[in-house]
Amino acid sequence: MEFKIEYKKRFREALRIRMVEQKIIELYPLDKIQSPVHLSIGQEAVAVGLCSQMRLDDWLFINYRGHAFYLAKGGPMPELFAELYGKRTGLSKGKAGSMHLAAPNQGVMGASAVVGSTISHAVGAALASKIRGEDRVFVAVFGDGATEQGAYHEALNFASLHSLPVLFLCENNGLAVHASLLERQAFSLTRHAEAYGVEAKTLNEGFDFMRVSEICSDLLEQVRFKKRPMFLEIKTCRYMEHVGPGEDFDAGYRDIAEVRAWKDKDPLCLDDTLLSEFSLEISKEIDAAVLFAENSPYPGIEDLLTDVI
Amino acid sequence: MSDIKMKYREALSVAMSEAMEDPKTLLIGQGVTDFKGIWGTTTGLAQKYPNRVIETPLSEDGVAGICIGASLNGMYPINTHIRADFGLLIFNQLINLAAKYRYMFGGLFEVPLMFRMVIGRSWGQGAQHSQSLQSLLGHIPGLVVLMPSNPQSIVQSYRYARSHHKGPVVMFEHRLMYELEFEGKIDFESVDPLSSRIERLGTDLTIVATSVMVLEAVRASDYLNRFGIHVEIIDLHSISHPDHNLIFNSVKKTGRLLVVDTSWIPYGVAAEMSRIIAEKDPSVLKQPVRSLGMQPAPCPTAKSLEDLYYPDVSDIVGASASLVTGQHSHGIPLPVKQAMTDFYKHFKGPF
Repeated sequence: MEFKIEYKKRFREALRIRMVEQKIIELYPLDKIQSPVHLSIGQEAVAVGLCSQMRLDDWLFINYRGHAFYLAKGGPMPELFAELYGKRTGLSKGKAGSMHLAAPNQGVMGASAVVGSTISHAVGAALASKIRGEDRVFVAVFGDGATEQGAYHEALNFASLHSLPVLFLCENNGLAVHASLLERQAFSLTRHAEAYGVEAKTLNEGFDFMRVSEICSDLLEQVRFKKRPMFLEIKTCRYMEHVGPGEDFDAGYRDIAEVRAWKDKDPLCLDDTLLSEFSLEISKEIDAAVLFAENSPYPGIEDLLTDVI
Repeated sequence: MSDIKMKYREALSVAMSEAMEDPKTLLIGQGVTDFKGIWGTTTGLAQKYPNRVIETPLSEDGVAGICIGASLNGMYPINTHIRADFGLLIFNQLINLAAKYRYMFGGLFEVPLMFRMVIGRSWGQGAQHSQSLQSLLGHIPGLVVLMPSNPQSIVQSYRYARSHHKGPVVMFEHRLMYELEFEGKIDFESVDPLSSRIERLGTDLTIVATSVMVLEAVRASDYLNRFGIHVEIIDLHSISHPDHNLIFNSVKKTGRLLVVDTSWIPYGVAAEMSRIIAEKDPSVLKQPVRSLGMQPAPCPTAKSLEDLYYPDVSDIVGASASLVTGQHSHGIPLPVKQAMTDFYKHFKGPF
């Protein structure tokens, strides 16, 4: 019974995120969202599972593919659409857009569009927390491409050396823009993390928000109480193109069969009963959020030079 | 602290000790805990504050990011780089992240923190241990970039930056001055800790100088006084936020501008000073602007070349005299060319 309730909650949250991004796809041709969007469709379960197990005061450091994490950690939806629309009522007054989402009150710290560049921020925040003797956990979320950055290696080393409460979470969708993992990596993600003394786990079922919740719950508590960093790789699948609202299977760099196989296991593609149970109320929430964005003012000259230094 | 004799290094030590008294301060960098302690400026602090004085792996980019994260979480990190050249390794975090954190997120975040970068010069520091990179960073909105030229400036601006400024500050310190002793003389109560100040009043020529070149401008000015030339010296101090009115009003008064920077000339401090005058009112100039800086090449290691590479007092006197007299052959005998290291005799390698 408990499982069923939790399952429905997670399903609803994952569906909510997917429907937000489907709305973005629908709106994109209108050119009201005039900035790049990196969609998480196919990867929602990672964000939903992780964030369902984080405390409000646990901080999450994300990247340019950040809609799912922003929403899953509690970032407000109307302000998200306003931010995408470049409106003054966006949480960052339209200065951030899709690639730099943040909601500090919910513990969503800044998202960077330079791959791998916020991983070390999680480590630094954890260091400050350790100095003050707190029991918070800091999560750095990044893709498989980010693990090739030197900054990632530096962060793993420092976090392990100083026994910092960091969960390094790699969303492995096997692609860096259009380059496959095989073209890029001579190392194993988990063995590499272990070489720094960071215990590493892999979850292959990244479509399953319940499995993600379970492993994140376990690892977050281990990080919190052992005060040691851990690494978690979650295999996932990006259904859409790297950036933009479309699919790009005709480009030839990936096999549509892999995505089809993934969709065959994706609860959001399978569970029609829950889909119809939740779709209508989520649609209403999204429509209200879009309306809020539509009706909001644009930032102007008075905002151009505020918050520079 | 006027009338107190103090070395540049001692002022840095005072600034660091004072900073550590605040439980928010985190002093982090390569060598902050070792027996040399960044030339004595951090010595003893690791013993007193073991949790907040942190030696680092050779991971400049990672550590800069760690500083941003710690700052977001309430600390005030001070990150040291014993050569500014090593600071190039943090430019992603510094320019793409720290400088933009406040603006890019519409004011949701502040990242107060400080990077100390030491410029090496002379005694064979060569191409990668001697660069003055202030112009690169002065170009970037969101950063405060300072070049303190004396102990008073250090104590005042480090304290102010730490306790009042809510964003990233880059301090370019000059290795050549570390062992020099200064006597306090400026009334610092009235000086903006984050902007330019008058080092010496004069009537015939304005020299805008940075860092150690302020000292050289003062020596040149002492020499020129004997020939009836009175130089006004502006210690630029702030690369990112120079005092435009102070600079313009001085040039309006003297009609002549010489810029003496520690770095290369193109697109640098000299170019920016010229822009300030050119955009406000170039008709105040009685002569074209002159500029002195490093030669347009990487820094050579051999002393014979290094001495030719950097401008010295003789060059400043020559440029000043021709500006004031309006003639290339001004008739004022130049002082004997002498490398700064030879003159100050305080800086001897290898470190």
